[in-house]
Amino acid sequence: MLKATLRSFLAHKGRLALSALAVVLSVAFVAGSLIFSDTVSRTFDRLFASTAADVTVAPEDDLRSQLPSGAVATVPASLAAQVARVDGVASAHADVSVENVTVVDSRRRSVGPTTGPPTIARDWEVTGRSPVELTSGHAPHGPDQALVDADTADRKHVRIGDTLTVLAQPGSFRVQVVGIATFTTTNPGAALVYLDSAVAGEKLLGSAERATSISADAAPGVSDTELKRRIGAAIGTGDYALKTADERAASATEQLGTFLDVIKYVMLGFAGIAVLVGVFLIVNTFSMLIAQRTRELGLLRALGADRRQVRRSVLTEATLLGVAGSTLGLAVGIALAVGLIRLMGVFGMNLRATELVVRWPTPVTAYVVGIGVTFVAAYLPARRAAAVSPMAALQDAETSGAGRPLRTRAVAGGIVGAAGAAALAGCVASSRTASAASLLGLGVFLTLIATVIAGPLLVRPVIRVLGAAFPALFGSVGRMSQRNALRNPRRTGATAAALMVGLALVGGMSVASASMSKSFDRQIDRTLGADFVVQNANFMPFPQEITDKVRATDGVGLVVRQRFAPVAVRLPDGTRVKTSAAGYDPQIDEVAHITYTAGDSAAALAAGGMGMDAGFARDHGVRAGSVVPVEFPGGRTARLRVGALTDQEQAEGFGPQGGLFLGLATVEKYIPGGQDSALYVNAAAGTGADALRAGLERTLAPYPQVQARDQADYKKLVHDQIAVLLYLVYALLGLAIVIAVLGVVNTLALSVVERTREIGLLRAIGLARRQLRRMIRLESVVIAVFGAVLGLTLGLVWGVCTQQVLALQGMTALAIPWGTIVAVVIGSAVVGVAAALLPALRASRMNVLAAIAHE
Amino acid sequence: MPSPAAEHAQEKAPTDGVAARARGLTKAYGQGETTVLALDAVDVDIARGRFTAVMGPSGSGKSTLMHCLAGLDTVSAGQVWLGDTEITGLRDRELTRLRRDRIGFMFQSFNLIPTLTALENITLPMDIAGRKPDPAWLDQVVDTLGLRDRLGHRPAQLSGGQQQRVACARALLSRPELVFADEPTGNLDSRAGLEVLGFLREAVDDLGQTVVMVTHDPGAAAHSDLVLFLADGRIVDEMEQPTAAAVLERMRLFTGRAPRTAETDADVRRVAETAGED
Repeated sequence: MLKATLRSFLAHKGRLALSALAVVLSVAFVAGSLIFSDTVSRTFDRLFASTAADVTVAPEDDLRSQLPSGAVATVPASLAAQVARVDGVASAHADVSVENVTVVDSRRRSVGPTTGPPTIARDWEVTGRSPVELTSGHAPHGPDQALVDADTADRKHVRIGDTLTVLAQPGSFRVQVVGIATFTTTNPGAALVYLDSAVAGEKLLGSAERATSISADAAPGVSDTELKRRIGAAIGTGDYALKTADERAASATEQLGTFLDVIKYVMLGFAGIAVLVGVFLIVNTFSMLIAQRTRELGLLRALGADRRQVRRSVLTEATLLGVAGSTLGLAVGIALAVGLIRLMGVFGMNLRATELVVRWPTPVTAYVVGIGVTFVAAYLPARRAAAVSPMAALQDAETSGAGRPLRTRAVAGGIVGAAGAAALAGCVASSRTASAASLLGLGVFLTLIATVIAGPLLVRPVIRVLGAAFPALFGSVGRMSQRNALRNPRRTGATAAALMVGLALVGGMSVASASMSKSFDRQIDRTLGADFVVQNANFMPFPQEITDKVRATDGVGLVVRQRFAPVAVRLPDGTRVKTSAAGYDPQIDEVAHITYTAGDSAAALAAGGMGMDAGFARDHGVRAGSVVPVEFPGGRTARLRVGALTDQEQAEGFGPQGGLFLGLATVEKYIPGGQDSALYVNAAAGTGADALRAGLERTLAPYPQVQARDQADYKKLVHDQIAVLLYLVYALLGLAIVIAVLGVVNTLALSVVERTREIGLLRAIGLARRQLRRMIRLESVVIAVFGAVLGLTLGLVWGVCTQQVLALQGMTALAIPWGTIVAVVIGSAVVGVAAALLPALRASRMNVLAAIAHE
Repeated sequence: MPSPAAEHAQEKAPTDGVAARARGLTKAYGQGETTVLALDAVDVDIARGRFTAVMGPSGSGKSTLMHCLAGLDTVSAGQVWLGDTEITGLRDRELTRLRRDRIGFMFQSFNLIPTLTALENITLPMDIAGRKPDPAWLDQVVDTLGLRDRLGHRPAQLSGGQQQRVACARALLSRPELVFADEPTGNLDSRAGLEVLGFLREAVDDLGQTVVMVTHDPGAAAHSDLVLFLADGRIVDEMEQPTAAAVLERMRLFTGRAPRTAETDADVRRVAETAGED
């Protein structure tokens, strides 16, 4: 029996190739993402472990926030001396390292990375742990010398002798590049500028007396943990966070982890799509192979093979396919990981592909996924094969499965679909974001399953409509292609399902993103009253001198500053919420339209006052006039009176939780030295918008990272950001389409083989090759468009429901991108044509006589 | 005990001209030493308006002859004409059009497209050509073949005999110059087989069609006007106004040297039955 199985596997290897490809793709994405994240983690673990001091003393950072104030938390530089005196400390050094700088070259171009990693300015301190070494030039001495890292020098063409301008928080200054420092380990992608230790504190923090952390090395025989304990005892742990090298590496990896997780989840998302779509492909292939081999299987049964043996034979074939696919997939996965690592290099993260990490779970997962998916997908067809009766060997069996009733499917699909619809209805009706989101997820999942189950039932009615015009347009060729698509609803359904899944996701996401764009547009129209907003490209705060220069620009009338403060509020209901509060100048009403339910801007921005979102206040038992304790970084606490409640329902999704805002003076009082995040600028009387724009652009020219935007620019910016989400969606779509095309090709190719005699007959009675090709193409198109229509319908429902959930976050506008939808339908028809190319060619090349005589 | 053909002998259509012709028709399979000659320099004329049967044992080349005459197969040497058109040397597109417009086909089995109704199957070649069938002629063909109440059915809903009648109707609808029938009764029981043969006979006698039928069944051949006997790729004999018994007798001569096969045994039995019915 095993021999027969092997023979059969080898005999059908061509027909199994496309299924194998689906396995390869899913395994490749799984393996690739695992290898990639393992490699990156290992590299960074090493980097952090090798560069962290035995014990690091940093300011307590309970209030870290997404929206930094621009102020750098510091420790006194003198703490280094104090730490050095602790018994067991071999050496201690006051580090200065800041990320709130922009470094530009003499042509006013930023030398920093444009893709996320920060620009870091720090003091040049040579230790055994330093991740860089001086490879040319000399160490910086005095206030106007600096080193840059080799990667940055390379990328931005910075040479020794060049002059750079460092825009730091205390003020910008010029330095000459006197040396190049090269990474000895992996460069995480940041741009580094090193200053002389003697001047770094003053230049970067505004005071030689401050440092950002203290690093201490242990004397021989003292463990890191012991050292940490001793230092903690000596300096007190209230204001400082002490970390051993291991802890530091762990927390650094954790921060990096969120970024890596994103990549990992995206990759796993791709893998998921590939697996899901691959399952359909494999089910279809095995179903068809078994239908074609009905007589052969009947013969096996007649010769005495029992059901179990037949089933096992099919499953063995599936397992072989899974093993072959997984092995190839693993190899492709490694290539994919190498590709990703190269890609990261383009974005500035110089990983070494030679240090590829393949841990044991990777191949195990790859094989489990590959074999598991194939086995599961082949299980139903295998059972069907086992059900073939010995009589089948003697009868001229037509393709089995075509005519079997779909009642079970109708019932199962109906039940699951009803549950899914109920969940979606619940999510629309729900008024709480959390429960609505989980209902949405459940509804999406259930309706998808229901559509997959009930897909074959929808084949008849939908394709009748879709192909209704075919007979009129293409005559009997059109009629035959429409009927061929209807011939085996299960097969058509499963083939189209692959495309359906991808397009449903795309449909849903594009409705959601179009709605988001529209909501943001409305929001911008409604709330932004300023002529221009001056903001950093990455929304980080910018140096004070920019504010000063903008104020001094000709034609600038009013400037309202926005500055964020990380805060924690203790609310009357006992919760402590960590969030960011925005500080504004008092003339906010001139540049923004805020709807108040209680109080007004003056009350919110007054000294000792604050504003809060009415909904947030209601949820936490705050009323207008309540006094709320607010914690600021550095342990300072203020009791602020809630002077105004705003109706930010429209805006909740746009800002930090709670919608807290207060006077800029209040922020300045509790966090001195902060940087502004945005400037709302109105033109002075008599200055036109164009003139003001020109003036601002001149002023901002030396600061390439900062832009002035009006409403239209702002909308475009938001759209661009949402577009990033869409690109991801399109990439997913691309993958789904590739596999779906494989599925359609697969189905058509096997159908062509199945219908060999029919094709021979058609050719004999006068169907031209061209017409035959058209027939197959039209069948393919109708299957693809069926998948698209089903998918987009499902996607539209999901999208509308998603928008209802987003509406709870203030995104009340619903936009349906009809253009995209129509384009996708047309695109799917094109996909159908493309998928039919090879099968059609193959059919038209068939020898007429051989085809007629085909058994 | 008159044979069916003998009954029709008196009302035989005048043989004005030749519907198809082959000269030196040779078809070889394989190359070099393993070459097998399926047809060996065959010269044949298919008379217009007559019912010609091609007989021969398995492997005699009778199907190959039909395929070459019908433009389904290429020839190794020689020439084939359909009417005045030389079809040897035509390209696939022209051959396809020729089959579509000028030839009708019936095969032993799998004659119909399963997804189309009987009517759609009948009109298929004309639909493919983009032509409208003559409604009066369509009615006549449908009524002659007794398919009126079966037109909306799919092949799976028709009996074997009905399926062959639909195929027959399809072959006749475009009034082709030539109808080729390849073992049209091979898969039918004797009653349905007789019915189909009767229709082919009628097509020749009443509708003026030209029919070439390949068969190994002497009983079927007896319905024709002329039987061509093929053996080893050559036409070895022919018989006008055949009877089943005479055809069977003649067949025995050609297969005499070969051991008796199940096929010839079946022939004997069938001839006996046919003779009994007649």
